[in-house]
Order: sequence, then C-alpha cells, then structure tokens
Amino acid sequence: MRDLAFIAFLAAIFSLGFRRPFIFVLAYVYIDVVSPQRMSYFLLNAFPISAMAVGFAVLSWLAFDDKKDTRVAPRQGLMLALLAYCYWTTTKADFPIDAAFKWDWVWKALAFAIFLPLTLRTKLRIEALLLFMLLSVATIIISGGVKTALGGGGYGQLKLFVDNNSGLFEGSIISAVAICVIPLILWFTRYGTIFPPDWRVKTFGYALIFACLLMPVGTQARTGLLCIGLLAILMLRDVKRRMVYIGGAAALALVAIPFLPTAFSERMGTIRTYQADASASTRIAVWQWTLDYVKTHPFGGGFEAYRQNEIKYDKVETVGEGASITVVRTPEIDKSRAYHSAYFEMLGEQGWPGLILWLMIHLGGIVRMEVLRRRYWKAPPDQAWISPLATALQHAHMIYLFGATFVGIALNPFVYMLVGAQIGLDTYLARKRAEEGMKPMHKRRDSPAPAAA
Amino acid sequence: MIDSLVLGLTHGLLLLTAWRLMNNPALDDESAPPANEAPRSRWGRKRA
Repeated sequence: MRDLAFIAFLAAIFSLGFRRPFIFVLAYVYIDVVSPQRMSYFLLNAFPISAMAVGFAVLSWLAFDDKKDTRVAPRQGLMLALLAYCYWTTTKADFPIDAAFKWDWVWKALAFAIFLPLTLRTKLRIEALLLFMLLSVATIIISGGVKTALGGGGYGQLKLFVDNNSGLFEGSIISAVAICVIPLILWFTRYGTIFPPDWRVKTFGYALIFACLLMPVGTQARTGLLCIGLLAILMLRDVKRRMVYIGGAAALALVAIPFLPTAFSERMGTIRTYQADASASTRIAVWQWTLDYVKTHPFGGGFEAYRQNEIKYDKVETVGEGASITVVRTPEIDKSRAYHSAYFEMLGEQGWPGLILWLMIHLGGIVRMEVLRRRYWKAPPDQAWISPLATALQHAHMIYLFGATFVGIALNPFVYMLVGAQIGLDTYLARKRAEEGMKPMHKRRDSPAPAAA
Repeated sequence: MIDSLVLGLTHGLLLLTAWRLMNNPALDDESAPPANEAPRSRWGRKRA
C-alpha cells in the first residue's frame, strides 16, 4: 500500500515537473532526503528514481531554462576543485573498493550542489528549494518527535522509517540536522510566500520546531544537545529583549528537565565525564591517530582510510567517594574506528588540501551570509526577507558545522543543498543589484548601524 | 501507524507546495504578473 502511495506521489510530482521543469530539481531534493526507495518493498526500488529526477532536472535546465546573466560563484569553483581532488584521492585510496563505494554518493552530492545555484534564478525558487528540504526532512523529524513524545526512543533505538543508520536516518546526524533547520522554519513563519504565514503556518512551524527539539531526546545523541546550546546563543543576536529571552530560555529548560527521560539525562551527563565513556574516549584516540597519519600521508588516505586504524586508549573512571576516591584507568583497544568528526574525516581521507578546500567552502558560506545579512539589514520592505534569510542560512550552517565536530558528516548531501541555497541567494541578489543598478550597502552608509550586528 | 500518518501529512504538504508553484508564474519569471491577481473581465471588473 505504501509503495503504491509513493508511486502515486512521485508520478504526480514528475508530471508537474513536465509543466514546470524546476520541480524536477525539487523532486531530486525530496528523493535524496527521504529516500522513498529505501522504504519501499517492491516496484520503487527497481527504478533509478534519483537518477531519473536529476537527469530530467539537468536536461530541462539545459533545454528550457533562461540562462541569461547566469552567474557562477567562487564556491562553486571550490566545490568543483574538491570534487576533482576527491576523485584523485579515490584512485589512490588505501581501501580502493570501500573508497569507490563512498565516492559513488559523494560525487553526486557535490555535483548537485554545483548545479543547484544555476537553477535558483528567482526568489520563489530559493524559497521552494528550502521548503522542499524542510518538508522532506520533516518526514523523519515528525515521526521521530511523535515517537519520542509517546515514550519511544533511546540511544540507537529510535525507529526512523529505515533501520540501516545511513543518510539522515542515523541518530546523531538527524539530531544535528533537526536543530540546524530550526532557523529556517522560523524564517518561514515570518516571511514565507508559498504558504503565507497565517495561524496554520505558524502552528505547523512551531509544532515542527518542538519535534526538532525532541530529536536529541529521542536519539539521545549528545551532539543534538550541544547544537541546541549553540542555537540558543545564536538566537541572541536578533532578539529584541535579550534579558527576557535569557530568562525565558532558562525557565523553559528548568521546566523541561523533569519531563526528560532518565536515560537521556544520564547520557547527557557523560558530556562532562567523557573520559569514562568509550564512545567519547575512542573519538579522541581516533583524532590523535588521524593527526599522526597525516604526518606521513599529507594528501590523506582516500575515503574510508580510517579502516586501517588500531587505537589504544585508557578509559578513565573515578571510583568511590570523598577521601577514598580513586582513578581507575582501563586499557582498551579498538580497530577500524570511524572518525566521528567531519573535520578529522576530511583530514584523514583527503589530507590537508582536502580539509582546506572543505573549510573554504563552508567558512566562505558563513562569511558571505554575514555580508548579505549586513548589506540588507535596513533594506526597504520589499527586501525585508533577505537579511533574515541570510541569517537563517548562516545559523543553520553554523549549527551543522558545530554538530559536525562530533559526527562524520563532512560530505552529507543535505549540507550541500544548504550551501547551494546560499550560493543561489548570493548570485540572485548580485543579479538583482546589477539589474537595478542599486547597491543598498552604499545607500545605508547614511543610516545608523544595525542594533544587533 | 505513526509513520503512515506522518508520510501522509508531509507528502500532502509537498504535493500542495508543488501545485502552488506550478500555478505561480514567478517561479520562472519574476516580471510575470502575480498568479493571485484575478483575471479581469472585459469591463475591467475582477471576476469572482
């Protein structure tokens, strides 16, 4: 039954795509995030729906889309360079078969991110892309949120449609992504035009935010809690009454604590006593191994290079109370331990050049969004949506990159869609300024400095 | 049960989004007249 529903849905979306080819781009976004073929038992997993969507998207863009004044941002060039570099490291990878498997999805994510901004020629397309990303990821988040609220969940226990812990269906990844999309949801509750922000949109938006906040509880992923902390700090930038906000957030946290499952509170407590936790201790040991590895392999070991690691570390626990407290060190050995950090993932697999390219792509996005945020801070009412959108995209990216410190999500397709949306907004605004011969930044020099900038 | 309800909700909204986009000329061309502008009759009055 579910298969037939998916087929009917995809058939409807694809048929709309033949009327409006940009919808093929949205179809690819949906398929990449939700992976309906993985939830399907027959029919759907027999068709290469993802390849079909991207094929139609590229062909229809080539054949029909207006390419007048098409702009290419430097970050698209950087992603192309990273793509070529990753190909080169894959050809000389330490584990060629495993590396080829990862390359198979990485190149698609990067290639789509390079292509995506070329299609984002109108404001409505940028909004549509973000809305499709949100509603697609909401499929996983709402399901997880409802199950958590009903008492389900647990570390590695929360059932999110598919059990194979891949893509966005892995607990730590979906926790970080769920928190990173909150700024975008808030933007839609104020500036959306596809669904103008009435009481229904606001109710759905706030309910979705609540589900997002429940994801770290349901998955018991510590990364998610840290991301919530960063979100709370970032939101301070734009709130009008900061002391009221801080007081409200603190009160909310205090009220929420009694409702949190004990298992969640205990696991979050291990953030402070991370040395006693095998998961956290091995991370630090793997990071140390990676730093040693790149001393002899500065160009990295190709995808999946971590498989060769063998780490020894001491699990440190304090036993007893008061004067009889003792520190117990238990030697542990682990093999083929994953990086558990996007930064070390890039360093170990792609070496220093890969890490530098990757950092330039992502930090460049944060800087560009800050430029747009300030440039359009005092924009006229018809451009009032721009600065908040740049801010939302920037905050989403910062939360993702913060979560990426503890999860190996360096090349996750979702963040490259976010990067694509940032570049699309940037090039769209550059085109607009060129068309109108207007530079709001110059106009604003006479106006007072923004209060929260 | 929960999964089916959630799939129905989000996929319904995705479909509604695509439908609204299809009927909005601003998706491809921002200089096109807005879709929600009701077509005018010969006499200049807005049709219901």
